[in-house]
Amino acid sequence: MSEELVVRAAGLRKRFGKQTALDGLSLSVSRGDLYGLAGPNGAGKTTLIRTLCGLLRPDEGKVELLGWTMPSARVRSQLGYMPQDFAIYDDLSVLRNLEFFGELYGLHRGQVRERSDELLDLVQLADRRKQRAGTLSGGMRRRVSLAISLLHKPRLAFLDEPTAGVDPKLRRSFWDHFRRLSEEAVTLVVTTHLVEEALRCKTVGFLMAGRLLTQGTPDEILEETEASNFDDAFITLQERGEADS
Amino acid sequence: MTSLTITRNVLRRISRDPRTVALIVILPLFFVLLYGNSFSGSYSDLRVAVVNEDNGLASVRTAEVGRITLDVALAEAFIDALDRNVFDVAILEDPDTALASVGEDTWAAIVFPKSFSNTVVNEAVRASGERKTDFEGDTVTLLPSEATDAPLTTLVLDDSNPLLAGAILKGLDAAMSDVLSTQQSSMTADSLLDVRPLYEGRIRVLDFTAPGIIGFAMTLITVMLTAMSIVRERTGGTLTRILIAPVSAWQVTFGYTMAFSLIAIFQSAELLLASTWIFDIRFVGNAGVVALVILLFAVGLQGIATLISTLSKNEAQAMQFVLFLLIPSIMLGGVFWPLETMPAAMRPLSYAIPLTYANSALRKVMLTGGGFADLAFELSVLAAIAVVALFLSVLSMRRQAYTA
Repeated sequence: MSEELVVRAAGLRKRFGKQTALDGLSLSVSRGDLYGLAGPNGAGKTTLIRTLCGLLRPDEGKVELLGWTMPSARVRSQLGYMPQDFAIYDDLSVLRNLEFFGELYGLHRGQVRERSDELLDLVQLADRRKQRAGTLSGGMRRRVSLAISLLHKPRLAFLDEPTAGVDPKLRRSFWDHFRRLSEEAVTLVVTTHLVEEALRCKTVGFLMAGRLLTQGTPDEILEETEASNFDDAFITLQERGEADS
Repeated sequence: MTSLTITRNVLRRISRDPRTVALIVILPLFFVLLYGNSFSGSYSDLRVAVVNEDNGLASVRTAEVGRITLDVALAEAFIDALDRNVFDVAILEDPDTALASVGEDTWAAIVFPKSFSNTVVNEAVRASGERKTDFEGDTVTLLPSEATDAPLTTLVLDDSNPLLAGAILKGLDAAMSDVLSTQQSSMTADSLLDVRPLYEGRIRVLDFTAPGIIGFAMTLITVMLTAMSIVRERTGGTLTRILIAPVSAWQVTFGYTMAFSLIAIFQSAELLLASTWIFDIRFVGNAGVVALVILLFAVGLQGIATLISTLSKNEAQAMQFVLFLLIPSIMLGGVFWPLETMPAAMRPLSYAIPLTYANSALRKVMLTGGGFADLAFELSVLAAIAVVALFLSVLSMRRQAYTA
């Protein structure tokens, strides 16, 4: 794996009224990393992802993606983003959703078809391609959303809770896919609050109260927290964070 | 009691949204104040051209001293009697210039013939019988003379606005009655005036209000549809997805604009066809000119709608903002009552409303067959509104991603 940094964020600060969402946070992610952002609810994971993507302006600090200072229009074609809400058109079919967003990324019809087939296989919705998205279950809609985010083969993708509401078997196949993408030098930053998912990441960052408490491979985190399993490691980190603040 | 729980919950949720509370409180007051201030029921600043060729003299037979000449200057008296609160009187020399100004920059033109005073005095004596008057210190008795074919006073009237035309006739009538009363005559103004309505009275109140109603319907549907669609895209997250893709805010804005313009054009075609077929609304102009007016108007409305969507957190708020555009549009846009009836203080507000220009332009095309040249002012203002609104909506589209 190359050591080239594709995400470089320094001194990010973001407040919403009296609430501090990001508290001077710095973060670096190398090319081809599968980076898991873990932390309790309200830790600032979503705010961090939105700030990194350029959807939120930080009050302070700087973000660089793929070598471009954000916000940058040039980086957008290589960027994938899956928001926490479904963010798909309920009144359109699964395929039309994919086609629309594919065309926005400049894919022509043939490419869209080909990529849609691949991704619908991945998210196991090939037989539902003609179905209106609004009639799908919550988990299925999230799968459509993931497919849209990866359609244009981004070099860097931010996925906000991509497996929430997805059943365990499919969740496993998602993570297998994420690993494969990472082997192909695609960088993924994925938020999760599931311990088992954090374990499948190459690097895990533990976020709390808008700060990055620790970062390392899952093994390094176990070592650092002197925990026997990841559940305990998380609880230790969370307690450490609470004691700090 | 369950109902009470629900009632409390509804009220509590509304009270948590300060903007909704403010709108609930302000909107009714806004409505009443606008209505009370915009509809005065009286007219002002109606520009009329007057040409006075009357020599002011009346030649009348008397019982005592034969024919005498009285200097009565009745046309001048008439001009003085015109209510300046209603009329803006322009005194002109040339009858042709005056008559040609009607429908351009005046609502009416009156040309008093040379014999006006003479005709009025003699007609008055003939109608009411002999009467006494002072002449060079003596009292003389005026006698009726043979009827003559003296030319009547010409009144050319722009009746494209039937309400206004009615008000003008009423005002002229009042002045004429003043003059006739000095001659102790019960004659009416009608018998002295040769009224020539520009459109021969063919424009009904329905025709006059239809263009404004069509424009208002367009405002309602276009702004509502655009604002709601964009707010829904934003709250649903799809707008964020669009804006994070490699497309510019210009491309996104134009994409929306083209979609909603097509809808607006379709709707206005439907409105126009329905009103001309079902209600026989007057349409004497060129459909191409109407299409241009509607396109420019629709683009401006969408820009405004995009701005409204940026300011609104959700669909309910967007809806309330839309009302703040709709209410002034219907009250101040000149739809039901002309701008000329509004108090001067309210008129700047009228000029800030896009419907005012669309209404005026549509009226000119539909009612009087105005072409591009006649609509130059309205078209330029509508185009300026469209450009500014588009530009602002591109800026606000850039912001949408951050507020999503």
